[in-house]
Amino acid sequence: MNDIFYKLTVSHFLILAAVLFAIGTVGVLMRRNALIVMMSIELMLNAANLTILAFARYHGGAAGLEGQALAFIVIAVAAAEAAVGLAIVVALFRTRRHADIDRLTLLKH
Amino acid sequence: MKSVAAAVLVLVAVALAAPVALAQQREPEPQAARTRDGAHTAPRADQAEAPDGAAGHQGFENGRGAAMLFWVLALATVGGALFVITRRNLVAAVMGMVGTFFALAALYAMLYAHFLAAIQVLVYAGAIMVLFVFVVMILNRPEDEPWALQGLLGKALAGLAILYLLVRVSGALWAVKDTPHAVVAGPRPQLADSTRPSGDLQTPSKAAQRDDDWGSTRSVGKTLFREYLFPFEAVSLVLLVAVVGGIALSRPHRDPEATPEGNPEGKSGDGEPGEKS
Repeated sequence: MNDIFYKLTVSHFLILAAVLFAIGTVGVLMRRNALIVMMSIELMLNAANLTILAFARYHGGAAGLEGQALAFIVIAVAAAEAAVGLAIVVALFRTRRHADIDRLTLLKH
Repeated sequence: MKSVAAAVLVLVAVALAAPVALAQQREPEPQAARTRDGAHTAPRADQAEAPDGAAGHQGFENGRGAAMLFWVLALATVGGALFVITRRNLVAAVMGMVGTFFALAALYAMLYAHFLAAIQVLVYAGAIMVLFVFVVMILNRPEDEPWALQGLLGKALAGLAILYLLVRVSGALWAVKDTPHAVVAGPRPQLADSTRPSGDLQTPSKAAQRDDDWGSTRSVGKTLFREYLFPFEAVSLVLLVAVVGGIALSRPHRDPEATPEGNPEGKSGDGEPGEKS
């Protein structure tokens, strides 16, 4: 039992990333504000990055460095996603005067 | 509201202090750290174990401080994430997100990803969160019903399914710890077990095998600009398209014949409090 607390393995990081991803999923599903939803998506991307880096540490060597390069690319793509997504939120707010994703049913019917 | 700000400040302070504490924790050798009678009592262990680099199972001895640090950072990360998805106030949610990102950067540093820890602080906690704060200022409107509670039964089922999936995935991930080199508190991974040809003409192979180089800016940059050159350039193109798309989306579009360009009435007509993005 003490092993769980004192012996730090890569599983700790992986499970923490899974918990973060689950929290992000709950945020996407349960909140109505578009900004909170976008922040939850960023949370999920960070959880994926943490998994990538934990496995990079696990493997080591040149393959692990490739994992770090992949995490760098994930961060860059997440930045692009945040820019475009926030532009969409601003445009939505400009036309609809709210950012409530439950009321954005224009494409539903 | 003041307690919220205090909690966020504590999160940020813990995340900032973490790499320093980690660096101090990692300095002494395992035996010296365990006996506690002096920092330099075990030089023979220093010479004996440091160059061989096998991570092994010695993490139980030397990783106790690192494990404590991990629990503090994990608490900060999960607490910040829960803070984000439960706040009504958007600025408080953004601040919790900043604390989460700082703690995540410290966790990256614990995984020897120092370059990515710096990038995390610069890009996420710096740039992206500033963008979020600007949009929060534009959208300064309190929401009347923050939680989407329609169809509560289905969402409760979905929550239970997520919880079940999380437990099962955690059980699978926990099995990873029994593999030999899964102890995170061991020595830094080495570049020497690379099987690919280095292709490095300038520096001899000895420089590529320095075991204190794994995860540094130098080694990650080498990987990015050699094997990952094409994805790197593709990402630059993605960022260019994202910049152009962001500007095109967030511009206020108006009918070109209704309000000709430079018309002051056209500008004051749709004057909104924050349309400068």
